[in-house]
Amino acid sequence: MSAVTIEDVTKTFRQHVAVDHLSLQVPRGSIYGFIGPNGSGKTTTLRMIMRILYPDRGVIRVLDEPTNRKNHRSILDRVAYLPEERGLYKQMKVREVLRFYAELKGFRRSGPEIDAWLKRLDLSAWADKKVQTLSKGMAQKVQFIATVIARPELILLDEPFSGLDPVNTDVLREVILELRRKGATIVFSTHDMSVAEELCDFICMIYKGRKVLDGTLESIQNAYGSDTVRVQLDVPAKLDDLPSVVKVTDLGRCQELRLAPQADTQTLLACLMQRGRVHHFEISRPTLHDIFVRIARPGAEAEEKGHA
Amino acid sequence: MRKMLVIAVREYLAAVRTKAFLITLIIMPMLMSGALLVEWLLRDYHDTKTKKFAVVDRTPGARLYPVIEKAVQAYNEKTIDPATHKPIMPRFDVEQTPPSTNTPEAIAEQRLELSQQVRKGELFGFLDIEADVLEVEKYETGKQKETIRYQSNRPTNLDFPRLIEKPLQSAIQDLRMEKAHLGVSPEKIRWIMRPTSVQAMGLTRRHPVTGAIEEATLMDRIAPVMVPIGFLVLMFMVLMMTATPLMQGVVEEKMQRIAEVLLGSVPPFDLMLGKLLGMTAVSLTITAVYLGCAYWAARQYNFVEYIPPDLLVWFVVFQAFALLMYGSLFIAVGAACTDMKETQNLLWPVMLLVMLPMFLMGSVLQEPNSTVAVGLSFFPFATPMLMILRQSVPPGVPSWQPFLGVGLVVLTTLLCVWAAGRIFRIGILLQGKGAKLGEMLRWVFHD
Repeated sequence: MSAVTIEDVTKTFRQHVAVDHLSLQVPRGSIYGFIGPNGSGKTTTLRMIMRILYPDRGVIRVLDEPTNRKNHRSILDRVAYLPEERGLYKQMKVREVLRFYAELKGFRRSGPEIDAWLKRLDLSAWADKKVQTLSKGMAQKVQFIATVIARPELILLDEPFSGLDPVNTDVLREVILELRRKGATIVFSTHDMSVAEELCDFICMIYKGRKVLDGTLESIQNAYGSDTVRVQLDVPAKLDDLPSVVKVTDLGRCQELRLAPQADTQTLLACLMQRGRVHHFEISRPTLHDIFVRIARPGAEAEEKGHA
Repeated sequence: MRKMLVIAVREYLAAVRTKAFLITLIIMPMLMSGALLVEWLLRDYHDTKTKKFAVVDRTPGARLYPVIEKAVQAYNEKTIDPATHKPIMPRFDVEQTPPSTNTPEAIAEQRLELSQQVRKGELFGFLDIEADVLEVEKYETGKQKETIRYQSNRPTNLDFPRLIEKPLQSAIQDLRMEKAHLGVSPEKIRWIMRPTSVQAMGLTRRHPVTGAIEEATLMDRIAPVMVPIGFLVLMFMVLMMTATPLMQGVVEEKMQRIAEVLLGSVPPFDLMLGKLLGMTAVSLTITAVYLGCAYWAARQYNFVEYIPPDLLVWFVVFQAFALLMYGSLFIAVGAACTDMKETQNLLWPVMLLVMLPMFLMGSVLQEPNSTVAVGLSFFPFATPMLMILRQSVPPGVPSWQPFLGVGLVVLTTLLCVWAAGRIFRIGILLQGKGAKLGEMLRWVFHD
């Protein structure tokens, strides 16, 4: 059972193709991460799931209901959305704003729930202050509460961690895990690869409107294989002429070698030992960060096609 | 439906619970009657600088100058406050200028010279009494061309000529009668010649309780004009007080990306309608306050009969639909713009529609049941204001007309709300650059 199913969806704004034949599935009860550079179509995808935008082509099913204009109202109360740019009425008090958003989701008598959330996110003292007096991070937490206050089944978060300090990032992370434990499905987009690695059951990378990665972290890392080796020699040496080395990245203290497919690491080690004393030799799986940069780096496209 | 109400309630409270709302509520009527109010407030503050006038009395023996001098003297005594001994009005200073020779050229020359003095600021103005004002003989052939002229470069300040006009006139009459040797006392002649005016009044009526026949009062003349104007101005004012903030609200929600959050919970059409209903409630609140005050004042000053209750009901109905109709257009403009400055470029067609009844007010008031007035009051965008205007001018309109008017307004309102909803749906998410009128029209028909 999927919380969200996207089938061959395309969305175009004037000449610009924002989402291009995208298909994916978000399993229920999972934490699903959207990664990708700016302008790659993440927000458009989230907005389409939210039915703020409608796809030009393709089908989006949310909580087993197909999206079209007719049944728009049917799932709005079960889905919540935290947009990237925060929107709160500046003149309203924190508690009023939260009550308003709760009622918009059809959740009445939200008082105790609001108090509990304010306490949980350390905002109790601000409950009766106007939104415009809050700091950016606090406003963001209020916006987060506004999103989850009505106990939605599917929670879409667009860059929920941007602008938060490390303490609040940790608090929010715990809250997200807790919501998942209670049965909610969480889809979020982020630039922060370490957060995505730690938190997500599934990761999907969108680049230029197309899906380039999809799966669990492990499956993605496996797909990119053990083609990366980090070495440290006693004397700096030029290594890009070694057999089966495709690319060398100087990381300062060590060098990172990317190998051609099916290259033998034993042979490489033997070659390295002839160049000098090997202090460090590590066959490493690429981090999500590496994979991201590899795909999204300018001029990376051609190279990746060859790799795939 | 419930969500629409949640939006409407928030919109209403956000508008009503501010200090700005209270202040506007008090200040707006003042602004509308601003000119009158300022004049009333400044009634004690006059320019007290002495004003100098020259008088050329060309009559034989200059017999009129002493009359002027006397009138001015009497006036000057009143320019000083007896209690504080401070000047409260400007003193007039008159000075007799010997007349030139009685040829047209010389007279023109003298007038030019005096005019130059006025231009230089040495004089405030001058009075020129022609030689033949006292002529009585040539009444069969004489043309009535003898005049007294007052020349000045400040045509708006006529205090001086007004002051001397009456005494001068009766002095001239006395002198003419004396010259004519009529053998009748001047008092008798003046009594015979007293002017008779035609007085415009309302209708005589029977007092509902005592049964006595009552005269038409002054109020009967003023109220039938003031009540319609009052209704029209009130409706216009309330529209401006609510439709503009409504549009500002939409622009603000767009700029602060609140719209996106709201659209995650409410379909765009419901969101728009909620806002519209909230603001309609605000407009009705304002209307209730003003109408309540007006009604109270009417009772207090005994002209309540000019504001019949059914007229009040019609006013509220028309007011509500006017806001729904115009409000939806204001919302559409707000949704199509990305900041307040841009709204200026798109708002003018809407403003033209709102202002139209104000422009037509005079002619409709003059002849409220002419074909043109009736026709115009069925143009839906003008109906709310013009129909109430026509209804409130006695004897009112045929009873089917307001019903037909409301019917047309309801249809137009539905059309406007539908179209605005289509524009809102697309515009509310648009960032960066505002839309043009043509683009907005395309959104209406684009699926």
